This record gives sequence, C-alpha cells and structure tokens, in this order.
Amino acid sequence: MILEMAADALGDRLAYGTRADGLTYEGLRAAARGIADRVDGSGAERLALMEPNAPIVPATLFGAAWAGVSYAPLNYRLPENQLEALLARIEPAVVSAPHWLDNKGTSDRAFPDSPDAPAVLLFTSGTSAEPKAAILEHDQLLAYIFNTLEFASAGDDEAAIVVVPPFHVAGVAAVLSNTYVGRRIVPVPGVRFSAEDWLITARDEGVTHAMLVPTMLGKIVEAMEADESLRVPTLRAMSYGGAKMHPSILKRALQLFPEVDFVNAYGLTETSSTVAILGPDDHRLALYSDEPLFQARLGSVGQPVPGIEFRIVDEHGATLGPDEPGEILIKGDQVSGKYVGTDSKVDADGWLHTGDRGWLDIEGYVFCEGRADDTIIRGGENIGPAEVEDALLQHDAISVAAVVGLEDEQYGEKIAAMISLRAGVNEVDLDHVCEWVRERIGSLKTPEVIVVVDEVPQTATGKLLRREVKRLLEEG
Amino acid sequence: MPNQMGKRYTCAECEATVLVTKAGDGELMCHGAAMEIAQAKPLPSSD
Repeated sequence: MILEMAADALGDRLAYGTRADGLTYEGLRAAARGIADRVDGSGAERLALMEPNAPIVPATLFGAAWAGVSYAPLNYRLPENQLEALLARIEPAVVSAPHWLDNKGTSDRAFPDSPDAPAVLLFTSGTSAEPKAAILEHDQLLAYIFNTLEFASAGDDEAAIVVVPPFHVAGVAAVLSNTYVGRRIVPVPGVRFSAEDWLITARDEGVTHAMLVPTMLGKIVEAMEADESLRVPTLRAMSYGGAKMHPSILKRALQLFPEVDFVNAYGLTETSSTVAILGPDDHRLALYSDEPLFQARLGSVGQPVPGIEFRIVDEHGATLGPDEPGEILIKGDQVSGKYVGTDSKVDADGWLHTGDRGWLDIEGYVFCEGRADDTIIRGGENIGPAEVEDALLQHDAISVAAVVGLEDEQYGEKIAAMISLRAGVNEVDLDHVCEWVRERIGSLKTPEVIVVVDEVPQTATGKLLRREVKRLLEEG
Repeated sequence: MPNQMGKRYTCAECEATVLVTKAGDGELMCHGAAMEIAQAKPLPSSD
C-alpha cells in the first residue's frame, strides 16, 4: 500500500540511492513486482534477506508484502552456521539476492489485503538472552506510519542517510516511513561503520535527514572535532535512538550541529519502531534553560507518539506516579509483542511489558534507564549502569564504556567497567579515571574494576552486549 | 471536488476518518455531508 501510494503520486521521484543512479518510486515498484513474481510458486511463507543496505533491501521488503509472505531480514554478519540455524527457524523460506533485481516483474497483481498477516519477522538483538523472532503485522506497521506521518510531505530535495542495517527495526521503519513521505534514501552499506565515510557521503549527496544510533553519533562527533572540513551543510534533522544516549555526547553533538533539529526516538522491535519522541524544541529548552525540569529532559526519550500510551508499574503490577521508577509498559495499535514459537509479552489488557526500567516526569516525559535486569545492586543500593557510563564518557580519553555488576562477597555486587579509548589516545591513568568518576557521582557508584580494551562488545547497532562484557570481565 | 491522495478526511457527525490511498474524482460523503480534510499534525521525523 505504501509503495503503491508513493509510486502513484511520486513515480518519477528518486526513492533509493544516489542522485546519479538511484531508483525511482516507479522503478522500485517494478523491482518489487519482479521479486513477488519470483516468490510465486516457491511454496515459501517467508522471504529472507541477508544483505547490507542496497536497492535489494526495499525491493525485497515490498516484494514480500506483494507476494503475501513475511519479510525476514537476517544479520548477514553472522557466521554461516548461525544463519542456517535462523533460516531453519523461519521455514519454509526462500532467500532474496541482488540478482533478483534483474527480474522486472510484468504480472498484473494486486497487493493482498490481509492486515493481520505477519509482515515482518525480526530477530531481536538478544543482548540478555537467545534471539527471538518478533512478528510485526501489516496493520501494526501501518498504524505507526499513518499515526505519525503525513503522506508525500517531504520536499523533492530531501534525502535521508540510512546506516542502520536492514535487520534492525529502525532499518525497516526507515524504508517504510521515507517511502511514505517521499524522501529519497541514501543507503550506507556500513559493513563496518566509518564516521568519515558517513560524513563525506552525507555531504556529497546533499543529505537533509539522518538517523543514528548513539555510538555512531559519538564517532561522528569525534571525527568532526578532529577535522573541521568534515561538515554536512545541508543537514536539517538528526534523530537518534536504539540505545541509551549519554548526555555528554549529545551536548557535544548539539554544539557541532547548532542549526540541526535533534530528535530522540525511543522504540522497541516489538513496538514497530518509535513510540516516544523528544523533539527539537525540547532539546533546545534543555540546553538553554535554567529550569532543572527542562534540563533533565536531555536524558529523556520524550513523549508518546499519537496512538501510544505509557504506564509505569512496580513489581506487583501497581501503577506508579510521576518520578517513581518501575517497569515501562506500552500500549497501542502499533504494538505487537508476538514471537515465533513463544508466548506474547502483551498482557490481557493489551500492555506490552518491555523489561525496560524507567519513569515518567510530571508532564509525562518518559525516562528510560535501560534493561531492568542490568541494574547493579551493591550493598542494597540500586545503581543504573547508564549513570556510571555517562560519568566515564565525560572523560576526554574514553570513547565507549560498559558498566556491569560482578559478584562480590561483601556487597553482593561490585561495579566493573570495560572501556575503549578515543582515537589518538594510547593510554590512560586508571586512578585518575576513578577519581574523575568519584568527583561526579560519588564513591558508591565508582567502579572498583576498570579494564581497557580495543573494542567493547556491541551489537551491530551499538547496543552494549553486557552479557559478553560481564563474561569477559569475570574471566579476567 | 476530487479527493486528494494521502490526505485524511473526517466526518463532523461521527468522527469517522478515512485516508485516501488511491485518488479519484468522487467526493467522500458521510452522514449526508461531504467529509472535511483533516489538518496534519506535524511530528518531527524520527527514522
């Protein structure tokens, strides 16, 4: 439906790729039809994809919908045996490949009208457990698009650079939402993220909109601070999400991009992408106001998007009031919570139990502290790793920091940190780092163990793999 | 007046909303009256 609308109304406009050789909406429709034709007769119920960002990505996404099968983008970076295991879990499936684009469909076919059918299967990142395949239905994804966007509202000069991989919910949402508003997507294959490549591509392609995960924005900030020639003058809007953004990095970014509208988007795979937004005005107010309520919102994920409700509950399920931390529950038409082969995370009243810990302020702004089970309990005191990580990241030698709790005889848990250093920094005085953290957040929250590594374990989208960090630290 | 592609129309009487996914020449009617075009609620781009 989304592609049909865009191709009907904006057929000649560039949809995907560079200004020199991009695909138009009409061209994308032909490519998607060709893919749907190939799926016909295969007996498959799922159309898998294991490719980085390229024209085959939107063509497969829309082609799957057209053929009436689910689109299942997989993490192409996984080793072959793991990919085979994931494929086995979504059988019967066929795998789409770039040469499928050669097949320009000629069939006269309509999009199936089955709103409850599973449109997309996404394997969750599995930072705390084995990956699960989340199911997103057509009507859930459409609820997100229709509730939050205006059709064809983008100017024909607009372009969005997309670096999040196709197997992440933000990669799916980027294709759907930019197609619906008519904004060209400039894909970055991004097998390995390079801030310099990103900045140069964005500048050369006249990019106006960008979406990044926090670690990528951190690297871009570092690259821009090191080289003043790396600028993107056409950039108007920058959204970030997917993991906790540390206010210290955000403040540096806001100073480097004073003209750009910043948006913090909070969402889960299970909620068809964004469910809360902290808008540009909130960012400016936080930066320039003396009022603590507004300042604090730089650490908030904003207010619910239309059609979405938030509720905070304690461990007994009782609703909590403003500023009281508990588990975040979310409800709305775009919320799924269903998985292949396991129980739904949505309760009888329609609330998705996110497993994220957070609270709402007096005006309903959502604050998310991270996974409830990441909380470190030291001597009966609850310590959110994010606060310790942010103190570490304010140190100008540190690039990435992951904080976990390790077993401790005396206190139950002790705080341990794994850090990597910024480009050009070869060593750091760890006593000085401890002193730095102590001055900012006190000795109770200061790590007792700090280990410097080349690369802190993260997912493809910059989520810290705390399980892995913890395992490495335990092994010493 | 032909209906406009991608726009929302609402009925003043029953609050039904429709979204035009294929433009056409017909006029959208509900409760005996022409449906009115709904104002867009701008939301910043998030992805």
